[in-house]
Amino acid sequence: MAYHYVVTAHKPTAVTACVTGNFTSPSDLNLIVAKNTRLEIYLVTPEGLRPIKEVGLYGKVAVMKLFRPQRTLNSVGNHNEILEYLIIEMLWKEICHHEKKDLLFIVTMRYNAMILECISDGENLDIVTKAHGNVADRIGKPSETGILAVIDPKARVIGLRLYDGLFKIIPLDKDNYELKASNFRMEELQVHDVEFLHGCANPTLVLIHQDVNGRHVKTHEISLREKEFVKIPWRQDNVETEASIIIPVPSPLGGAIIIGQESILYHDGITSVVVAPAVIKQSTIICYAKVDPGGLRYLLGDMAGHLFMLFIEVETRNDGTEAVKDLKVEMLGEIATPECITYLDNGVLFIGSRIGDSQLVKLNTKADENSSYVTVMESFTNLAPILDMCVVDLERQGQGQLVTCSGAFKEGSLRIIRNGIGIQEHASIDLPGIKGMWALQAATGSKLDNTLVLSFVGQTRVLSLNGEEVEETDIAGFTSDQQTFYCGNVVHEQLIQITPISARLVSAQNKTLLAEWKPPTEKNISVVACNSSQVILSTGSALYYLEIHPNELILKGNTTLDVEVACLDISPLGENATTSDLVAVGLWTDISARILRLPDLSEATKELLGGEIIPRSVLMACFEGHNYLLCALGDGSMFYFSLHKDSGQLSDKKKVTLGTQPTVLRTFRSLSTTNVFACSDRPTVIYSSNHKLVFSNVNMKEVNHMCSLNAEAYPDSLALATDTSVTIGTIDEIQKLHIRTVPLQESARRIAYQEQSQTFGVVTARIDIQDSTGLNPARQSASTMAQSVTVSSSVGSLAISKSGSSSVLGTSVAPDYGQEVEIHNLLIIDQNTFEVLHSHQLMQQEYAMSLISCQLGNDPNAYFIVGTANVNPEESEPKQGRLLVFHWNDNKLTQVSEKEIKGACYSLAEFNGKLLASINSTVRLFEWTAEKELRLECSHFNNIIALFLKTKGDFILIGDLMRSMTLLQYKTMEGSFEEIARDYNPNWMTAVEILDDDIFLGAENSFNMFVCQKDSAATTDEERSQMHEVGQFHVGDMINVFRHGSLVMQNIGETSTPTRGCVLFGTVGGAIGLVTQIPQDFYEFLLDLQNKLSSVIKSVGKIEHSFWRAFHTDIKTENSEGFIDGDLIESFLDLSQDKMKEVADGLGLWSDTDNGCRLFFNLAVTSENNR
Amino acid sequence: MSVAQFLEGLPSYNENNFTKFHVDTNSRSPLKRPSVYIPTKDYPSEQIIVTEKTSILLKYMQQHWDKKVNSAVKKRDIPAQSEEPARKRPRTEYSRDNSRDMRSLNDF
Repeated sequence: MAYHYVVTAHKPTAVTACVTGNFTSPSDLNLIVAKNTRLEIYLVTPEGLRPIKEVGLYGKVAVMKLFRPQRTLNSVGNHNEILEYLIIEMLWKEICHHEKKDLLFIVTMRYNAMILECISDGENLDIVTKAHGNVADRIGKPSETGILAVIDPKARVIGLRLYDGLFKIIPLDKDNYELKASNFRMEELQVHDVEFLHGCANPTLVLIHQDVNGRHVKTHEISLREKEFVKIPWRQDNVETEASIIIPVPSPLGGAIIIGQESILYHDGITSVVVAPAVIKQSTIICYAKVDPGGLRYLLGDMAGHLFMLFIEVETRNDGTEAVKDLKVEMLGEIATPECITYLDNGVLFIGSRIGDSQLVKLNTKADENSSYVTVMESFTNLAPILDMCVVDLERQGQGQLVTCSGAFKEGSLRIIRNGIGIQEHASIDLPGIKGMWALQAATGSKLDNTLVLSFVGQTRVLSLNGEEVEETDIAGFTSDQQTFYCGNVVHEQLIQITPISARLVSAQNKTLLAEWKPPTEKNISVVACNSSQVILSTGSALYYLEIHPNELILKGNTTLDVEVACLDISPLGENATTSDLVAVGLWTDISARILRLPDLSEATKELLGGEIIPRSVLMACFEGHNYLLCALGDGSMFYFSLHKDSGQLSDKKKVTLGTQPTVLRTFRSLSTTNVFACSDRPTVIYSSNHKLVFSNVNMKEVNHMCSLNAEAYPDSLALATDTSVTIGTIDEIQKLHIRTVPLQESARRIAYQEQSQTFGVVTARIDIQDSTGLNPARQSASTMAQSVTVSSSVGSLAISKSGSSSVLGTSVAPDYGQEVEIHNLLIIDQNTFEVLHSHQLMQQEYAMSLISCQLGNDPNAYFIVGTANVNPEESEPKQGRLLVFHWNDNKLTQVSEKEIKGACYSLAEFNGKLLASINSTVRLFEWTAEKELRLECSHFNNIIALFLKTKGDFILIGDLMRSMTLLQYKTMEGSFEEIARDYNPNWMTAVEILDDDIFLGAENSFNMFVCQKDSAATTDEERSQMHEVGQFHVGDMINVFRHGSLVMQNIGETSTPTRGCVLFGTVGGAIGLVTQIPQDFYEFLLDLQNKLSSVIKSVGKIEHSFWRAFHTDIKTENSEGFIDGDLIESFLDLSQDKMKEVADGLGLWSDTDNGCRLFFNLAVTSENNR
Repeated sequence: MSVAQFLEGLPSYNENNFTKFHVDTNSRSPLKRPSVYIPTKDYPSEQIIVTEKTSILLKYMQQHWDKKVNSAVKKRDIPAQSEEPARKRPRTEYSRDNSRDMRSLNDF
């Protein structure tokens, strides 16, 4: 059996719904955003959106609505009762303000309905499930237009359209414990949208439905007593054929607005107004938001990211009633491609996006220079949908980073995700050319820093920090016309400044010079190290050791080394130590690190580092009681050794690459532990965890120098100098995932990394529009703005030489005027700058389906290989495609080879120096000949559509469109494939991965994940040929890609966490997760913990954890097995102490902390949960 | 009517909202994520939503049946006393009713 642990490393970010209302209290204006299974609750404040809480659900949100419950008087009989009722109600309102607050109604994809209320006592808030239940029917055809849910404006009933031909009504009856949902027969089968009309005596639906004649609008009055639709107040047949959205208009106007592709209709049974504004024709409107409570203004958003305002013009009739006279539509500007829009306050909107970054935008009454009335205030990073991704270790630190193909259309982008430590910037000063930086306590009684000394070439400047104010000052005893090498507070209330000329001792109180020491020779001081009572400095190869005494610096030792000194350190080792017995020295010429004893400067040890790169910074540091010597070189790499404090001996030499530039090492303290900051082009924080050094990236581009700063206005901060400025900030306590965005403005589909050329290959698709001059890009994007562009000739060279079957390739009929055409490209992107170096455009109608970077046969070159399909709308599946082999060299892209294939190449893989391709239903192996051509070697045919390929050794795993997974073995001798085993369950695959020789991971399109195991030891052929499903789990999101790799530093020999292998996955909802194998005893332990947690942690909406994680498809539901839900396990860490104890007590591990708890804490920490 | 007029007088719940908004100077740190709500207190549900298990077909037949029974009772009330009400409905009648129901089914 195989056991797995699955956890979300980055929560889903695609916004599927958003609502505004008074949820957390009657006076709070809240924004609630649904992201797949998570709800985020924000408070609208003068400063902007303030996050309040994130609520996880055991289900994917299908519909989310806020509503205001109302107390109806229907059930009350006579006047006395009404009076009594009103009094009670008034009292009730006095006591608690339930009626002034909105409730949240949610339906999940698996038909769990819930009504949630937020109860807050100022500090804490609780989400109370007021009502819940599953509204699924045993039979019924789920509607193709998805789940629709509407709430009557007077909150009398909730309406649900779940299945074709049925409409479910939940009466919101306050008095009954049971809310009885009942099905109404609805003769309209294809319903595109449904709403409740305002101002009706009985709840009345308005809907758009489609039949053979077109689309029609119809209304239905509901009778709750007869459980039927009783009459049709009005109808409007044959509205626009693409009408898709209904906006119910509030009273007193009533009626509804019907939004179509080209026209907008208002109808209320009497008045009918149609407009066809030209501005809306370019794209399709997909969402709206009501602006005024009275419902005269609406915001509309379309697929292209245009924001419109719809205005209802009203006229007063003779009888005094108001009626709709006209509809006006104006374009306001461009926003992220919206999925939902909500109006917040004072002209600020939230734009929820599924395929791009969601936004907070402001509407202005004046247009800006681009004639846009919209200003983006804030963007919210969204990785969704993750189409493809690759794990790369660009810095070669043993830590992977993830590059994803995210978003679509104009929101298409690459996202670089790395685990690291964040710096929160608090202040920044523009100051170029800083060579060193120190914080001082000058003329102050407190222990807080109030001065910052900055060193430049040939000068030194002093800044005083007064509250948040920073101003330039000077310290009389310091020299300002020299570069400072070291500066700091030292013993006996003194300051020290060391320049190339001398060491100056200055009074900390009156800032006057007390003593000055100059080297006995003419030579300038070149390198310095200092602690609070000792100074070590060198002039070339001469080394001087000084001690700091009141009012004097005393030379205690000197020596001359055989080569020049490159760097020095004299940091005291150990807690509370103030002096050091050792000096660390890095040397030129022989490239060595040495440890010298004090005060005689005799050599304790010498370690030759090898190579030609000189050491630039040495540091002795104590982490968790272990002493280390760190020695950073000029090329950004660093050696580290265990340092024996008494003997000065070095052992356990290790090397790590931190950056590419000379690195400066500095210590700082955070949370009372020692940390080292490595300043370079890739700043890194070095700390110790479980007695191992951990190297964690910092989310800043480059840092040249840094110092700790603990000032009044900036407590526990760091000052960080870059080439141009000084930044004061604080450092995160823990590692987090940091995301960088590279916008492409077109859909990125596939990505491959090529180490040899230090580039990424990315397949993208952009939209071109046919106009009078031919096909032209709809907008500028990565492929049109690349440094160089090449184009595949519009008629394939292969097509000319052949006839008959390949006619499709040549016949590219010009598309109709105004038609959108997808154009596919291969982009070559620099791995460091992410500039698009080159763009190669494929033929018209040729879609790039797959991409790899690989080496073939004995050919030393690395190639990008693209598999394509010729998409012809008249064919049920592509009949033709190409394999294109490209070589990127010398900033030029050359097409090395081209092979015509008979179908779409869905997937490519390198296989023992050959090329493996899945083409329609076949899997084919191609050899790379000496003539640089692809030659077919063998094929496998037993698939519907072979979508995915993964390889390991001689084995090939195929993911099929609908026939789950198949394992092939390549027989080297015969040169053929043999089908080894197959999973006979009908799973529609979305991604596959090989975990080890016998265990295979698959994801399918009902948002489940499963593990299959082949049984090579079985006795019969039949048993051997079947894969067994040994694990299954509901993820709740569609997995598009699996990749081996990890985002945390891989510490070889780390034994505390018993996991094996790590597979990352990316989803349509923008989540990143990971799957890892765990041993059986650990699985059983975690399973107990999981069961315990699922009862201690209450489910919002009262959906059972076991129901949520059960493997669920249209045809079966089976309990989850073989998987541990890491998301639930890791919420243990967020429990209060007593609840933790309650959970742990039941498992008998509280006392046994060394075993279970630590194991699992380690697991939680390493599983990089992004908290 | 100009766009500017369109955008005048946008609704305001609290006129101070968003007035002190300033773009975070540190664009690297996006909005802080809200803390995760981990409920451990059990609130009993005030109400549960139950789904009617009867299919609309059975419901329809039930209604049809009720109507029939009602009208049959009325018919019987008028001639009255003449014959004893049958304890059981004759099988033939039942099958006829059934077939009628099936016919009305076709209306679906």
